[in-house]
Amino acid sequence: MPPSAKPATELLHGTLDALILKTLTWGPRHGYAVARWIEEITDDALAIEEGSLYPALYRLERRGWIEAEWGVSDTGRRAKFYRLTRRGREQLQVETSQWTAFAAAVTKVLLAT
Amino acid sequence: MTAALLRLLRSRLWKPSAEEEVSAELAFHLEMRTREYVAMGMSPAEAREQALRRFGDMARVERTCRATARRRDREMRRAEWFGELRQDATFAIRQLAKSPVFTAVAVVTLALGIGANTAIFSIVNGVLLRPLPYADPGRLVRVWPAVGPEQNAFSVLNFLDWREQATRSFSGMAAATGQTLNLTGEGEPERLRGAQVTANMFDVLGTRAVVGRTFVAGDDAAGAGRVAVLSTELWRRRFGGDSRVVGRTLRLNGEPFTVVGVAATGTGYPRTAELWVPFRFDSVTTDPTNRGAQYLSAVARLRRDVTAEAAKQETDAIAQRLAEQYPASNKQMTSSIIQPLHEQMVGDVRKALVAILGAVGLVLLIACANVANLMLVRATARETEVAVRAALGAGRGRIIRQFLTESLILSLAGATAGVVLASWLLRLVARFGPEDIPRLADVALDGRALGVTALVAVATGVVFGLIPALQSAAPDLARTLREGGRGVRSRAASARMRASLVVGELALAVMLLAGAGLMIRSFRQLLRVELGFEPERVVAFQTVLPDAKYDTVPKIRALTSAYQERLRTIPGASATAIALSVPMSGMGFFITIRHIDGFPDPAPGEGEASAIRSVGPGFFRALGIPLVRGRDFTDQDHGGAAKVAIVNRAAVRKFFKGQDPIGRRIEIGWGIGDGDRVGGEVVGIVGDVREDGVAEEAAPILYFPFDQAPPGGFTTVIKTAGATAPVLAAARAALRDLDPELPIYNVRTMEERVAESVAQPRFYTVLLGGFAAVALLLAAVGIYGVMSYSVGQRTGEIGVRMALGARPGDVQRLVVRQGMTLAIVGVAIGVAAALASGRVMASMLFGVKASDPVTFAAVLAVLSGAALLACWLPARRAARVDPMTALRAS
Repeated sequence: MPPSAKPATELLHGTLDALILKTLTWGPRHGYAVARWIEEITDDALAIEEGSLYPALYRLERRGWIEAEWGVSDTGRRAKFYRLTRRGREQLQVETSQWTAFAAAVTKVLLAT
Repeated sequence: MTAALLRLLRSRLWKPSAEEEVSAELAFHLEMRTREYVAMGMSPAEAREQALRRFGDMARVERTCRATARRRDREMRRAEWFGELRQDATFAIRQLAKSPVFTAVAVVTLALGIGANTAIFSIVNGVLLRPLPYADPGRLVRVWPAVGPEQNAFSVLNFLDWREQATRSFSGMAAATGQTLNLTGEGEPERLRGAQVTANMFDVLGTRAVVGRTFVAGDDAAGAGRVAVLSTELWRRRFGGDSRVVGRTLRLNGEPFTVVGVAATGTGYPRTAELWVPFRFDSVTTDPTNRGAQYLSAVARLRRDVTAEAAKQETDAIAQRLAEQYPASNKQMTSSIIQPLHEQMVGDVRKALVAILGAVGLVLLIACANVANLMLVRATARETEVAVRAALGAGRGRIIRQFLTESLILSLAGATAGVVLASWLLRLVARFGPEDIPRLADVALDGRALGVTALVAVATGVVFGLIPALQSAAPDLARTLREGGRGVRSRAASARMRASLVVGELALAVMLLAGAGLMIRSFRQLLRVELGFEPERVVAFQTVLPDAKYDTVPKIRALTSAYQERLRTIPGASATAIALSVPMSGMGFFITIRHIDGFPDPAPGEGEASAIRSVGPGFFRALGIPLVRGRDFTDQDHGGAAKVAIVNRAAVRKFFKGQDPIGRRIEIGWGIGDGDRVGGEVVGIVGDVREDGVAEEAAPILYFPFDQAPPGGFTTVIKTAGATAPVLAAARAALRDLDPELPIYNVRTMEERVAESVAQPRFYTVLLGGFAAVALLLAAVGIYGVMSYSVGQRTGEIGVRMALGARPGDVQRLVVRQGMTLAIVGVAIGVAAALASGRVMASMLFGVKASDPVTFAAVLAVLSGAALLACWLPARRAARVDPMTALRAS
């Protein structure tokens, strides 16, 4: 698919964390795979800025929500794979419920007549 | 296939730095993105450019990631470290709990060493090292006029002259004399330890008032209003710390005094005074004929640029000048003594305390040696464990840390117990310590002492505890595991070290025991000294007759005569008397001799000084002072009859030059009683008495009948035939009946007063004895430990011996012999060391040489006995070894 002409939607700082965590529920991935996965799932509506992605990944790793291990990608190259931890799973639940509550509230306001 | 696996393994095991990690990851992403774009049809260069652009500021991204990565690594390492530490600690505690005897002994040993040392060092610091609580205390000195090297007290006139003339050296000079002050008129009458001081005393000392003011110039002039300054202790105790006490009027000795202030804690002089009143410079005290009446002690403040030596030159000159001007009283006082105040207060006890400090240091050494020994023994026991752990891959660092944790926990436990012990010891000392060791009561636990002592002990524990861990570096693990121990050579080395530790301990223990033994003998000698009187079953108490109510002699006589009558009727009292004071009361009254029949009269103001006592009939009998010749005072020697006197043997030697004094008249100056001069015909000679303390020489004393020279206060002396309490109650009741306002104080038996005078030597003896006991115990434990362990290690050898025909008795003898060899070496070294350091002890001893053979013999016996016992127990165990089990086990 050609690079999207649509501008990347601004992401709130915290939501990137949630997106990464959710992505990893489908199994361990390296950073590039996470970016591609999000792009595919959202049909490129969300194009992650790599400039924010990697700092986010390191941040999540530091907080213990994800853990990393170096392995070999399917292209045969050395890559750093991330995996969700138990605490990360819990955090994801927290973020998800927070987000849905937030979204519901905003929707209510916007759709009020 | 294998290539892929290898690659996987290599990646897994790759441990990059934060920089490498970030670079590699980002490079991978870039590559993947580039590939993606290339697959979409871009050129590689374009693709790469696009990929980079998606990152934005690559450098910033890298930086951020690296920083986070580094922080992450740091936190992880720290968590790991703490986790391991907790593991180590838990493991250590479990190990320690598995050998409770070892742990208990080690902790107790450390506690004893640390606790005792901290306590003693705190005492030394509090008594000796702490600066006095005065302004610029280094400038304060005590001053005495002296006859050659002997200190004298100041008479009022001498003091005034000195103060006037010594202005080059001193910025101020003040004097003090003790005075008991009766507090009456509110609540319980109480006798207070007071002091009369010159008005500038507080200024010279540089102390302030906590409330109100201290004395100002003019407070001591004749006719000045009567004022008083309280001590903080008295203020809190009796007046509840209420600041409104300033301005209150107190009745002291029947006279009204206005309280003007309270002095800060511990800052008054003399230190034992509870309150101060100004000295009265009036016509009586400044009477020129009384230049010989010396009873003031003086304190001065050196000027900033003047040393004590320079001051002494000036005061010597002053003394000589006065000796020429007033040869009668001052003839021989041609020199002076100046001593820093701090020195004077603590100088007496310095040597003794330092000796005690040395002794307790020895205890610490012994304790450390014991702990070292214990650790070494444990080390050998755990060799196998260490080898196994090393073989299983534990890093050397980890093993060392493990043992370090164990040693630290043990040492900390010991140190904590030591602190508890130290504070408990200090509380005991503060309560039961002798009163004449200055500042003993407010000694506090010294943090520095604790730190240093704990450090020494902990260091010992740690160093010796690390030895097994350090030895784990030895590469011969296989042999260790096989043989169940290290090679013969290293084991011998370890055994040698343990043996030398024990020998050292024993030597130190000998020194302590010898010191304690000498002190005990010296103390017993002290107690056996001839007192000159019999203190058994004699009780005494004091009372004071306030000047206001008893201002004439007939009034005093009326009370005392009636009182003496009543005393004689008390059942259970075998002898009663009243007197100015009793021996060992610390009260000294001195007078100048004006005339002795058969000797040329000294010029007015001249004359030798002598101690005097005013005693009623029966005094000598009550105290058991022997009447050598002539007769005692009787009721016939009352105020209206012919004046008489009794002298003691020392007086005969000194004043009568050995000639017979009986029948001669002696007269003294300074009016007490009728008229200015008092005197009498000598009618009797009594034995000498040690007045001032057991170790002091007997001084000449002149005794006068109480009734002929009634003083304003007296001591009741009663020798009881049986129970003391009812007699005492009756005597007090008798006095109360006559005048209920008279305070009764200082009720004590003569035996108590005698005991007080030996309180200091007793204190040191108890301390040293305690240390020696602890040292003995520790040394015995040390020997026991070494021998016990040795036996345990040699079970195999013992089994072989017994299989080859050795009897249990032989084995026992072998073990004991080996143990005693150690003991003998240690004791020999100790005895030599003790004899060599005899000079240190000599100054503390009385009547006993520092090389006293009896003491050393006793020490040898005790220590040998203890060593024998300590060897015998393991020896018994060795003898009970069953050869078959022993051989099978090895």
